[in-house]
Amino acid sequence: METSSVPTPSPGGLPPALRGILPVLIAVPVLLLFDRLLASAPFATYLLSIMGVNVILAVSLNIVNGMTGQFSIGHAGFMAVGAYVAGVLSLSFKETALSFLPVAASDQVFLVVALLAGGAAAALCGFLVGLPSLRLRGDYLAIVTLGFGEIIRVVVQNTDAFGRALGLSGIPQTSSLAMVGFWVFLVVLVARRIAYSSHGRSLWAIREDEVAAEAMGVDTTGYKVRAFVVSAFFAGIAGGLFAHFVPIINPGSFTFVKSMEIVVMVVLGGLGSTTGAIVAAVFLTLLPEALRSAFTVMGAEGSLAQKVDQIRMPVYGLLLVALMLLRPQGLFGMKEIWEVLPRWLPRRRKGLA
Amino acid sequence: MAQLLQHLINGLAAGTIYALVALGYTMVYGVLKLINFAHGDVMMVGVYMGYATAFALGRQTQKTFLGVVLIFLVAMGGCALLGFLIERFAYRPLREKPRLTALITAIGISFALSYGFQLDIGFLPGAAPRAFPEIIQPTEWLVIGDRDVVVWNWQVMSLLIAVGLMVGLQWLVFKTRFGRAMRAVSYDHRVAALMGIPTDRVIAVTFMIGSGLAAGAGLLYAIKDTSVSPLMGLYVGLKAFVAAVIGGIGHVPGAVVGALLLGLVEEFVVGYAASTWRDAVAFGILILVLLVKPGGLFGRVAAEKV
Amino acid sequence: MSPGAEASPPRQEEAPLLQADSVSIQFGGLRALTDFNLAIRKGDLQGLIGPNGAGKTTAFNVLTGVYRPTRGDVRVAGRRVNGWLPHQINHLGLARTFQNIRLFRALTALDNVKVACRAQGALHVEGADLGAKLRGALRNYRDWWRALLLTPGFMAEERELTRQAERLLEVMGLSHRRDEEARNLPYGEQRRLEIARALGTRPRVLLLDEPAAGMNTREKADLMVLIRKLRDDFSLGILVIEHDMKLVMGICEQITVLDHGETIARGAPEQVRSDRKVIEAYLGDNYLETHGGAA
Repeated sequence: METSSVPTPSPGGLPPALRGILPVLIAVPVLLLFDRLLASAPFATYLLSIMGVNVILAVSLNIVNGMTGQFSIGHAGFMAVGAYVAGVLSLSFKETALSFLPVAASDQVFLVVALLAGGAAAALCGFLVGLPSLRLRGDYLAIVTLGFGEIIRVVVQNTDAFGRALGLSGIPQTSSLAMVGFWVFLVVLVARRIAYSSHGRSLWAIREDEVAAEAMGVDTTGYKVRAFVVSAFFAGIAGGLFAHFVPIINPGSFTFVKSMEIVVMVVLGGLGSTTGAIVAAVFLTLLPEALRSAFTVMGAEGSLAQKVDQIRMPVYGLLLVALMLLRPQGLFGMKEIWEVLPRWLPRRRKGLA
Repeated sequence: MAQLLQHLINGLAAGTIYALVALGYTMVYGVLKLINFAHGDVMMVGVYMGYATAFALGRQTQKTFLGVVLIFLVAMGGCALLGFLIERFAYRPLREKPRLTALITAIGISFALSYGFQLDIGFLPGAAPRAFPEIIQPTEWLVIGDRDVVVWNWQVMSLLIAVGLMVGLQWLVFKTRFGRAMRAVSYDHRVAALMGIPTDRVIAVTFMIGSGLAAGAGLLYAIKDTSVSPLMGLYVGLKAFVAAVIGGIGHVPGAVVGALLLGLVEEFVVGYAASTWRDAVAFGILILVLLVKPGGLFGRVAAEKV
Repeated sequence: MSPGAEASPPRQEEAPLLQADSVSIQFGGLRALTDFNLAIRKGDLQGLIGPNGAGKTTAFNVLTGVYRPTRGDVRVAGRRVNGWLPHQINHLGLARTFQNIRLFRALTALDNVKVACRAQGALHVEGADLGAKLRGALRNYRDWWRALLLTPGFMAEERELTRQAERLLEVMGLSHRRDEEARNLPYGEQRRLEIARALGTRPRVLLLDEPAAGMNTREKADLMVLIRKLRDDFSLGILVIEHDMKLVMGICEQITVLDHGETIARGAPEQVRSDRKVIEAYLGDNYLETHGGAA
């Protein structure tokens, strides 16, 4: 007897032990195939990887900002932790290889280890930042996470191992589209399963009414911290992936601007909607590229194409204000795309990037 | 010993500027229970207004007493207007909505201002910091020993201006009719409205005063730093906010004490440890305060009404 | 539903399930509650009444841990809970409803109750020492891990929670609203859903804050029957705040009357009804003078 509110994946006669990881088993070969197909298109691969990283960031931030109703604006800080920890690890194991594996496979093993280490470090930071601030009212979290991002920046700039302001270069470029896709897939799966478990319902309950949730026996601080840790973990993973396909990472890659970009994605998609976060992340990754190409093609104003990156920032700010005033629920509200789309379709197809 | 004294003076001077900005946070928080994220950026806009005015006045006039007064007036008045507009068109429509929407709006405005001013389109100044004219010629006001301790005239001036403004504010809040209305709105703006208090006007004026103070503080900061940049609002604003939280947000004297404390700690870190760690200090303190005394030094964590 | 559950459990000398020991609370200079005493045992059905602003809801908030008492002790199941968090107190078996309905508005009726049911399984109050805390925290993370892998044990747990929640909806006559969002329920049903949600925490004592507010006479009569039934079926102790004197007098065995934070009377309904102080508090000092004592 399935319900509309808790659609558990259909059992379909599978052994229960398999059911939990079945989606993963299906996803991996598909991703590998995709990776092969795009092997000859480096720019597309790069753009898709960036997009994937953004999706991971947006979906993970949505666990805190959307589902739990808190407001973290320092996601890039956790991304930085993941990027630097994973990057430094990979750099120090650059010359090592597992002798019993082919080189490519050995590289991937090291990559996964580095990613997990980066994620774990970010999760630990998430715990340390979240514990004091999540006890308090929402707006403190915003400030503390913002401050955390700053502290990370200052720490990096003062640490030789992290390359100070120059950053780290020469990190082995072992990330692949398949690897990014795998983590995208994983974060979405995790977000969905949390959301539809009774634990996830407790997060929603906190978002709806913290006092009532507490009175009904929900350890609100504990839940918030857990959501925060999971969210930070995936931000760390995203950072780690990022570090393994861009030529150089420096403090400039993980500023407040990056955090805001992720916040805008989550708010635009609809606080609480995982698919909304995905759609918005894809859209906002492609938009500047599209604008840049459009301006370049038009050729009229070469400088305009270069200004796209600059203009993006204030536009994000105004977009947030406009959204709050006109459509605070974002694209999909708390719902998922398949719950919302049928209602839109009869009238008019809404363009979805 | 002399070194200590010098740091003490510098720290206090920096602290008074933070205090003026922190007052704006604390006042707005008092009446609206909103952390006005854009406060620091409004301040930055004010400094640019002052900068433009100084330019318009020319090298000679900008240094005269009248010139300086005019620069301050334009910046503070312009900022008050900006504060009014932001409140009227961005915050007021959201007043009865969930708190999160107002917070997101504030973040959006802050972002739009601080990065909008980094564009070099039209009148916007561009990202590079600019030298702020020396509208107050720096002179040594007091020298002890063989230049062991130097107190600059602008330090004294900013201290006097800051203290004056604070006393004025305290008088306004506790001794005037308007202050009483403010406190009523702070207590419960719905009930205050029922009692015939024009809450909209009170909130708007509070915003304007807060923004005007910020502009004044921003100018003092720019004079001290001899530079102005689009990101100064973000940094000064954040530190001022931290100061307000240290003192207990919503608490006027608390904000001042918190700001002085922060100014001193920063100065000592820069003086005795390393200047590169300066920006991390404020947030380190913030997290510490939240851990140990979440309500700040003077505030209390108000229990939510159930 | 179940035929004639044991009507009146025997009164025994064991510690009350909920006890307030001269509890006082002060906000600034305002004394919201002074020397408040209360004892609720299994099977009790007590009322807490008083004029507006008498401190009734404040009393609830102190008992459930929203406020910390300035003086005095609150004991739940024999344990002193001053300074505990509301959810910890709830885990000892104290649940409540709210005067101004506070449902999880965007969640379905079923999920509202399920959240309450889940909160009981996952957490443990025992042990303030670090080791126990750490073990508890690890258990919570493991719990989430199970949710991610959809382990058979977890799925069974979820099904069990759904079953429990469905049963409670049925008890409160809300089965037909199972999948509707709480905010779309009519007012009276929202009040009942709040009770269902409170029952989901498997309480031993239930605090109801004006459960009949906004109901018509018929609904109130039904509610009276329902409250009694809950007490018997779930063997609860119940404390009701209510404005409607008729309702309180009709179902409560003992009534405490608050005025300006002070307990001005306590006793059986008849006793309280004729109490001079109570009449004064409710109807004003002049009432007795002009009407010559009889109420």
